[in-house]
Amino acid sequence: MAAVFAVALVVFMLVNRGSRVHDTVSDADNPAALVGASTDTRIKSFQALVRAHPKDSRGYGLLADAYLQKVRETGDASYYTRAGAVLHTALRLNPRDPAALTGASTLALARHDFRGGLDYAEQARMAAPYVVKPLGDIVDAQVELGRYAEARRTLHLMVDAQPNLASYARVSYWRELHGDLPGAIRAMKLAVSAGGQAAENVAYVQTLLGNLYFTVGRLDDSREAYRTALARFPGYVPASAGLAGVEAAHGRFSIAIRRYRDAVARLPLPQYVVALGETELAAGRRAAARRDLALVGAEEKLLQANGVNTDVDLALFEASHGSPTRAVVLARRAWAQAPSVRSADALGWALTRAGRPAEGLRFGHRALALGSRDPMFLFHAGLSASAAGRAGEARAYLARSVALNRRFSPLYAPRAERALAEMAGGRLQVTG
Amino acid sequence: MRARVLLIAVALFALLAASASAHPLGNFSINHLDRLRVSGDRVDVTYILDQAEIPTFQERGLSSDAVLAKKRAEVERGLVLTVNGARVPLAVAGPGQISFPPGQGGLKLTRVVLPLVARVSHPRSVQLHDGTFPGRIGWKAIVAQPGSGTDVHSSVSSGDPTSGLRSYPKSALRSPLDERDATLSVKPGNGSLTAPKGPDQGEATTHNRSGDGFAGVFADAAAGRGVLVFFLLAALAWGAMHALSPGHGKTMVAAYLVGTRGRARHAVALGATVTVTHTMGVFALGVVTLLLSQWILPEQLYPWLNLVSGLMVVVIGAAVLRKRVASSQFPVPSHHHHGHHHHHPADGGRRTADISPKGIIAMGASAGLIPCPSALVVLLAAIAQHQIALGLLLITMFSLGLAATLTGLGLVVVYANRLTSRINMSGRLVAALPAVSALVIVGAGCVLTAHAVPQLV
Repeated sequence: MAAVFAVALVVFMLVNRGSRVHDTVSDADNPAALVGASTDTRIKSFQALVRAHPKDSRGYGLLADAYLQKVRETGDASYYTRAGAVLHTALRLNPRDPAALTGASTLALARHDFRGGLDYAEQARMAAPYVVKPLGDIVDAQVELGRYAEARRTLHLMVDAQPNLASYARVSYWRELHGDLPGAIRAMKLAVSAGGQAAENVAYVQTLLGNLYFTVGRLDDSREAYRTALARFPGYVPASAGLAGVEAAHGRFSIAIRRYRDAVARLPLPQYVVALGETELAAGRRAAARRDLALVGAEEKLLQANGVNTDVDLALFEASHGSPTRAVVLARRAWAQAPSVRSADALGWALTRAGRPAEGLRFGHRALALGSRDPMFLFHAGLSASAAGRAGEARAYLARSVALNRRFSPLYAPRAERALAEMAGGRLQVTG
Repeated sequence: MRARVLLIAVALFALLAASASAHPLGNFSINHLDRLRVSGDRVDVTYILDQAEIPTFQERGLSSDAVLAKKRAEVERGLVLTVNGARVPLAVAGPGQISFPPGQGGLKLTRVVLPLVARVSHPRSVQLHDGTFPGRIGWKAIVAQPGSGTDVHSSVSSGDPTSGLRSYPKSALRSPLDERDATLSVKPGNGSLTAPKGPDQGEATTHNRSGDGFAGVFADAAAGRGVLVFFLLAALAWGAMHALSPGHGKTMVAAYLVGTRGRARHAVALGATVTVTHTMGVFALGVVTLLLSQWILPEQLYPWLNLVSGLMVVVIGAAVLRKRVASSQFPVPSHHHHGHHHHHPADGGRRTADISPKGIIAMGASAGLIPCPSALVVLLAAIAQHQIALGLLLITMFSLGLAATLTGLGLVVVYANRLTSRINMSGRLVAALPAVSALVIVGAGCVLTAHAVPQLV
């Protein structure tokens, strides 16, 4: 009796924590009325919908979709947890619910589980062959897994079925990966003009358009695109970080650092922290850079503890700013899991930094095999070739890395130019 | 007894282990809560900050004083109190507390509690805007609490499902609260507060009570927690049943009443005294905890408290054990009653002793001074849950149950006289039982102590 009581007491106290609020919202039974509503409104309404119809898997699917959108807007990863729990319930109620399967796919992709994401998306496709949304996840997974030919076929299906923001943005990325930057810009402009349900979606493609302009060196257009994105979705961190990048490219490091610092203060994702640290290094603020880059190490620990796979980004970080040996381990794992051009670039750069440039250059070639004109890919391949003693190849890669945007990176663009100058000097000495 | 102690020890371990897991609102989050209390001449705001791993890491290298000063500056900048349409400065009412509880991945969290106060006169409308840490994700909330001399209608809830940003609702159907504004209309009154129970829900009125821990429990009960009533009744029943287990002086009560030819009122007085003293040790621990938590952050307090309670259980067990050994070495006529009452052997020679109030209190105190380990363990579990007030309430109910049984027993003895004394409860097993139970108490104490030590180093 007493033991039962004690256990029940503890259970009661645990359950009792935070089960106090029971809100109800009317007009939630009509999801169609919510088109164009803010994400918060949609979340609130779908929460009420689910409470009103707890046995209907469809409500959970809608709610999970709104939660995933919320993460895109705020970076608040606690909504991933919520989305995961809601999707679990939905799939228990109906294992073939297309919206829930699509949500599960998107969530898996967000956690960089590309195979799991592909699996869910294909199940969603089977459950609802005429719904277009799962195709986007299938394309994303195929691209990340390095299956570019399959991705191209899926993408055709998707664009034909629904030429909208989601499909145009993916066409743009596919073209960018294959080095067709003007085509990528055209497609991204179409994505912007197609518009989207949430303001964040449009701000996102506008930011991507800004990134493309930046890559081809059209800094003013780039800044304009980021500003438009910020006007569309105030405080949008990816666009703020983009603006910081433009400032850095103009050599205005103090402004750039301030902007990056602001972005990092709101959303300290590793990519913004790395950009901040590298701009500080370019500005000669080594102590501040060391301090800020240490944050990436802390985030690495947290991501590992949470089972999130960010091997490619961390491998690049470790190769440039940390332990190249560790970078090789991370990049090998990434390559084994998803042999994409991104992981090839990371592995190649890691191997070169770890003192194996010949091997590194082989992966550098793979990274560029599709025809990519990514300046970082070219920079990495150029330094690998240089270290491997292949000066001609190195010169070609490095020249191409700075050809479009002389200031593609505040830290690496000057290094590429310096390497080119040294090689030119070296040749002059030899010939002269 | 053994099973119960083990079960609760296991529950405690699980709870402590869980405290070192991921921040439920994400590693980037900065969560803050304002507790707002409007009285006739002052407005009190307690600002509580719970900062996750990443922002804490970004401030590494700063001393804790520097971090606290930084947070204070942010609060002074962002927290705007408007009374009767005019902005009123909020002054820092104490040094504030800062601690760095362990988070995920070997990183730390930051926890700050900052008391603020504004002097006002005749407040009619009060607005609080919390503009601290703009743009940062996390749980943002303002809760209203009843003040003194006022009758307040609040736009924000009086309930805090996070227990002061210590635990967050886990329901996937609920978003983190994002509440930065509170509007209160104030009239002179007797410390009542009318506030929504939760977002989009009806209103509930609570009243100011001296110990706001208890007030919280009652407020929760008023908010529709029928479960609480069940637990109170269960605690009462458990106390009543528990009095029948060995070692609660009931045989002594019986013997005393038999020996002194006591009457019904003596039985009642004795039962009550035993119960009061018996629970006092447990109760004192809880009260001390409540008082200390006003001055020390619970995160800093609980590890010490865990250690102290662990050691206390060890000492209690050792004392009981010593007594068992002593009583078996010096058999007295009454040892087969297996109670800890050898101070007052119920031998025939004292039967003519007078009954004085002093005697009854001394009697009851000597029987009840050793706290009941089971009651202590319930309180410890409640402390581990940061639910001290609930724990105290349950202990009170438990005591009442205990008192009822002891008194009832006394009454039976008084009326049936001499009957009880003839019941023979001797036998090897029964004789060994008290010693075994004492050993179990010592063991449980050692386990609790062993678990408390690593938290302190």
